[in-house]
Amino acid sequence: MKKYKDIMKQIKYIALLIIVSVITSCSSDYLEPVPNSGITADSYFNNADEVETGIIAIYDAWQGVNSTSLSDNHSVQYEFYLTEMRSDNTRTKSQEGEAAQFEFYNVEATNGIVANYYASMYNTIFRANIVLDNLAVVTDADQAAAFEAEAKFNRALAYFNLVRLYGDVPLIDKVISPLDLEVQYTRVVASSVYDLIVSDLTTAVSGLDNTYKTRASKAAAQGMLAKVYLTLGKYSEAQGLCEDVMGSGFGLMDNFNDVFYNERNKEIIFAIGYESALSSDSQNFSAEWMNGVGRSSGVNYVTNDVITALDDFGGVRAQYSYRNDASQTTQNQVTKYLPNGESGGADGKTFISDATLAGNDWIVLRYADVLLMHVEAILAGGNETTDSQALSSFQKVRDRAGLTTTVTIVTKDELLLERRVELAFENHRLFDLVRFGRAESVLSAFSAVNGLGYSSSDLLLPIPQREINLSKGLMSQNAGY
Amino acid sequence: MNLKIKLMLFVMLMVNISIIAQDSFTVKGTVISQTDESPIPGVNILIKGGSKGTTTDFDGNFTLDVKQGDILDISFLGFKNKIIPIVSQKVLRVLLEEDTSALEEVVVIGYGTSKKSHLTGSISKVVNKDLDQIAVSRVDDALVGQVSGVNIQATDGEAGAAPTISIRGVGSMAGDSTPLIVVDGIIVDSDFLGSLNMNDVQSFEILKDAASSSIYGSKGANGVIMISMKSGLDGKTKINYSSYIGFKEARHSDAYTFSIAETAAAELAANGVLSDRTKYKQLIGIDRSWQDVIFDGGTITSHSLSLRGGNDKTKFATSLNFSDDEGVLLTDNFTKYGMRLKLDSKLNDKISIGASFSPSYTERRRFDGSTHDILRQTNWLPVYHDANTIQYVDRNIYPDVQIGDYAIQRHFDNYDLYGDGSVLVDISNTSNTNPAAKILERERYDKKFKLFSSFYGQYKITDDLTFKSMVSGSYQDTKRSRWQGVLSNRNGASAAQMNEITQRSTYLISDNFFNYNKSFDKHDIGATVGVVFESRDEFFSSISGTGYTNDGVKQITNAATISGADAFEWEKNGISYVSRFNYAYDNKYLASLSLRRDGSSIFGSEYKYGNFPAVSIGWNISNESFLEDSEVVNNLKFRVSYGVTGNDRLNTGSVNPDSSSSTSSLSTGDKLVDFYPSLALLAATTASVNGSLQSGFSPLNIANPELKWERLIEINPGIDFGFYNNKISGSIDWYQRTSDQLLLNNPVSYTTGFSNALVNLGEVKNEGFEFELRTRNVSLENFSWKSAVIATTNKNTLVDFADSNGQIQNIDAKRAAEWINLEGMPISTYYGWVVDRDIPLEYLKNAYHPVGGQAQDVYVKDLNGDGLIDDEDKAPLGDPYPDLVWSFTNEFKVGDIDFSFMFQGSHGAEIRNMGDQYIFNQFNSGQDFNTATTPDQDFIKQKIFTDAIIQDASYIALRNINIGYNFPEDVLSKFKISKLRVYAAGQNLMYKTADDYTGFNPESIDRTGPTTYGYQRAGSPIYSTISIGLNLDF
Repeated sequence: MKKYKDIMKQIKYIALLIIVSVITSCSSDYLEPVPNSGITADSYFNNADEVETGIIAIYDAWQGVNSTSLSDNHSVQYEFYLTEMRSDNTRTKSQEGEAAQFEFYNVEATNGIVANYYASMYNTIFRANIVLDNLAVVTDADQAAAFEAEAKFNRALAYFNLVRLYGDVPLIDKVISPLDLEVQYTRVVASSVYDLIVSDLTTAVSGLDNTYKTRASKAAAQGMLAKVYLTLGKYSEAQGLCEDVMGSGFGLMDNFNDVFYNERNKEIIFAIGYESALSSDSQNFSAEWMNGVGRSSGVNYVTNDVITALDDFGGVRAQYSYRNDASQTTQNQVTKYLPNGESGGADGKTFISDATLAGNDWIVLRYADVLLMHVEAILAGGNETTDSQALSSFQKVRDRAGLTTTVTIVTKDELLLERRVELAFENHRLFDLVRFGRAESVLSAFSAVNGLGYSSSDLLLPIPQREINLSKGLMSQNAGY
Repeated sequence: MNLKIKLMLFVMLMVNISIIAQDSFTVKGTVISQTDESPIPGVNILIKGGSKGTTTDFDGNFTLDVKQGDILDISFLGFKNKIIPIVSQKVLRVLLEEDTSALEEVVVIGYGTSKKSHLTGSISKVVNKDLDQIAVSRVDDALVGQVSGVNIQATDGEAGAAPTISIRGVGSMAGDSTPLIVVDGIIVDSDFLGSLNMNDVQSFEILKDAASSSIYGSKGANGVIMISMKSGLDGKTKINYSSYIGFKEARHSDAYTFSIAETAAAELAANGVLSDRTKYKQLIGIDRSWQDVIFDGGTITSHSLSLRGGNDKTKFATSLNFSDDEGVLLTDNFTKYGMRLKLDSKLNDKISIGASFSPSYTERRRFDGSTHDILRQTNWLPVYHDANTIQYVDRNIYPDVQIGDYAIQRHFDNYDLYGDGSVLVDISNTSNTNPAAKILERERYDKKFKLFSSFYGQYKITDDLTFKSMVSGSYQDTKRSRWQGVLSNRNGASAAQMNEITQRSTYLISDNFFNYNKSFDKHDIGATVGVVFESRDEFFSSISGTGYTNDGVKQITNAATISGADAFEWEKNGISYVSRFNYAYDNKYLASLSLRRDGSSIFGSEYKYGNFPAVSIGWNISNESFLEDSEVVNNLKFRVSYGVTGNDRLNTGSVNPDSSSSTSSLSTGDKLVDFYPSLALLAATTASVNGSLQSGFSPLNIANPELKWERLIEINPGIDFGFYNNKISGSIDWYQRTSDQLLLNNPVSYTTGFSNALVNLGEVKNEGFEFELRTRNVSLENFSWKSAVIATTNKNTLVDFADSNGQIQNIDAKRAAEWINLEGMPISTYYGWVVDRDIPLEYLKNAYHPVGGQAQDVYVKDLNGDGLIDDEDKAPLGDPYPDLVWSFTNEFKVGDIDFSFMFQGSHGAEIRNMGDQYIFNQFNSGQDFNTATTPDQDFIKQKIFTDAIIQDASYIALRNINIGYNFPEDVLSKFKISKLRVYAAGQNLMYKTADDYTGFNPESIDRTGPTTYGYQRAGSPIYSTISIGLNLDF
């Protein structure tokens, strides 16, 4: 019994010992476990390889998220809503929901798609700024310059889209803290935004080469800068840049349709890459443009107005640009970017592979666009040109479309029409109308015929209402919203 | 003494009169409370005039060696003593009558127990007397209406789906509002409620006020449900077998039941002729509601076998159970297998050890569809083509359709109605596949294996001081699979896909506690000090495949393409220091103080630790001299409590899509952020570069090193009362809960590169009354009648919502019905236009197609009178939180027959029933107004943006009804059976909803966020059950 008591006594101490040891053995990181399924930002961006992963993340931002949630950034996958569907080219199939606000020119400041694109562009800019802020760790000067050029190309492209869609916008050229409220809500005049775009693209032209088609390249920077100069009315600079691209080995595909179904063909200068069947790297705009294949019942449906233009002036391009919707024969669909190149069978909506996980790359800049920009640069704001270089570039685009009659003069409106039928449904139409100074006349007429609500203030989208609200009076809204 | 017992004793005496006195023999007995027939543990049984005696175990059982002529003195604090002379009885059933002057029920509280009379917080106890006779497959489903302050709502009517439980309202905006679940002192995931077996449950104690739950610190803010499992028994092994079978039937909505015949009659009356479409529909000859197809009813069965026994040193309880619930929807099913072993052993006077071990396996087949999507399809559409329907198929477009194939609406288009080619009639209104195919051709399973185990050692250092150390582990392995076959989608094989999610969770807790209890003079002192360590490890992986050409192998391996794969692993650690001090003076003046200090790994480096204090006091007025001898008042206690608790659960949403609450997701949208919210994280991304994927890293969140838990502060005064020897007893509580520093995904400017930052902001207030009244109306030998009324009111107010104040949210851009989160109103408040009047049928394009169609639009009110309808005319339209929830229970006992029923109701909540939009086919163009003729078109809006679909979600239900027969013991003893009860029970045999509610379950709510709560897209039906069962004890 005595022995038993001793054991008892010992157990008492053992118990205490266990507690004390457990408490003290708790190492300091017990409450600060290190995540092993992700990386913390503090410990990253230490060398060139890690900075390059930051560059890849910029393209991930351009791709956007293939989902149906409005809280994910959809980036370029949603761009058609804000561009083609606000032009005379497309509309929704059944006029429902927020998507229908664009075609009716009654976009509300609370529109989620408008906010989504704004968020997407600034997310792209943010990712570019991260690369720029971390260049110091890249020891090889050439590599650092190339990274800088690449980040700035992407930043410029995002700002170019923002300034054309929203007008004066906040200018963020470095990584900012959430507490830097002033810069987040201060709308900088468009000309200053263009200054940054020109400066960034100039850096990009000098620092890049033509290795990639789905990453930034010299030709892509030249082409984009040319378009920026055209927008700013600097025609001779634009002409030179177009000619630089024309001397860089790009060319037109013989068959117009092949442009869209041969990824990275010789006509592609810059595209956003997608891979089919992968939820994280595919796109769903191809499916949304079909009849109830995507989440919507059908968007980016073709207007009769553009059908007339394509049929009358498009040559072979008409048949490769749109088709009758087999499921609803009063409606017409875009046939550039059919999901994974499939036709969708007899009803136009039965696809072999999952159409909502489509792999078609999105073409941002292609050679035909550069040729027509070349014509535009030579036209230099005038009403017509007979310049042989301009005629030559114009003729190349027309020849490929099977319109081989020799052109002897190009008027401004002919060029605009040519751009329309060549680049239909590639998100150029609205910007072209504005750049050519024809937006007001064309869209008013189109609106009147179709009973829509166009007014000149509709050329700019609203700043997302949530930004206005968060700014607590700091930020002003565009006119008309 | 009970007349029956007297009689029995007399008979026994007569039988035994001639038997010569023997040596000692063993008597076994059970001591139960006369009030509620629950067993009483810890009852002293002494043989008069000697020192021999024993006490009853946790189940009220005792064994004692006696000899003829002994007199047993049975006593227990709070009950009147009972004297039983031993003649030759070997089995005793002792009913103790409550001595209400000293009511001494023991209540389980956090990390300990307390005498009920010493409680100063708000804790409700539910003893499992007949809860196990309610034919439901989850224990939480059986608790509806049992306790005030606890709202249990059948938000998902699928078999095995967890109800939404909220205690005293919803306080969290982004975290998890599910109460903490504690089983035998061990914290478990709320998901364990889905695998518990009710037959193993002894009682539930619900800690409602913050002072009671603050002992659980940063986990206590949503209240705590403590579950005590049955323990082993001292004495002969008691074997129990319980079983029931129930038949379930879904509640149909009359409003959603249409017929072609009725529509045709209305059309004929209005137009004088039938349209070709209507004629064609009648010709097809099928006219039935899709509710009849997808609400197929079901059977629920349960078998449970338990053995409990042991001796005074070692006791055991073990059980096996099986239940199968077919659910009332097509394909849904929930099967549960469980086993349990619990051992307690006293090594000696000082040391006792124990262990428990309970593995379970559940398999749930989901109803993989949405009722709104199916019920919107038309009455005339068959499921499969037969010899009749095949003749209507448009052979030009569908040459291959055969008898036995799924019928699709489009098959029936272009029908030559008059046989002469004069009219080709289209009647389809969707290109969707057959609604039944959408369900039957998908297979969605949740398979879960759970293992819950614990081990403890307890050492009695002195008579007053004990030390207990417990290690527990819960392990959960979940596999969710979702197969969508080639026929399940209108897009055919290209949409066939498989998704598989594997989750593994390990949760280890070590509790180490000193307990001190001392009574001297008039002082009762209790103290508890301890330290708790916990560690949680989670693994999640998901894989998806596409490219199936057939249904042959429904596995990832047969996929042509792996379309997505994902895996995460994370951990969460915590350390807590717990202390509590209780004091009672003369059983009159009570006080309790507690403090918990919690450290949690998920919060910011500056706020790893937080303190959670509580204080409560009570005054037992009935023990004061001026009331001590009162004939009327036998119990009267005033108490006030104040406490602070926290909520640290911000992870479950993105990880556990079916966690028990529909309000349980902080969705930062990323699992990694959910677990490491205070760190600046980078996410791996990929981009396609020249045709191949390259990987990148990009920032995922805005880091917040100052992040901490949500805090809840609650004040709760209350009164407990008992009159006329507790013939009337009950309690009244008032509470005010203020939840602040809420975890919010506060919006930030998009220009930062992000849209939200996780911060502690905002404040929500819940306040209300709780009322419980229990009466013993009649207590006669052969007839008793008891009643209980339980009622709770709650008012939810958003007090501070920082930058999000006034935010308007929708959950579906296509049908953007809005909620507003506005300070001064409930968290989620419906928002939209107010209906003025309907559009007369004459202005609709085609009011009689499709069948059951109703106008999409409605005239709304110009609230500000400016002559146009815009955002300025929108108004708050109601909220989804009930103002009053109540139940009314009656129990009767006539001889061996008992009968009970419970009515339960909820009032004041509204629901946004989006089901109307779908099922009345409002989006169909036939239901559009004619733009050429309709007047005042500027005043027309779609119904879904108005209060036309904001409906009263109130209900009154006959929740439970039970009638049982207990076979007399004298009959049973011949068969060595100690107890046999057979019963018939019913749930929801009556279920009355508000007149304007059109759906089939006003409790059903889709899973959205807490700020957009109350969305019902038809939902899943409430169901009624009729069951029969038996309980058998050997």
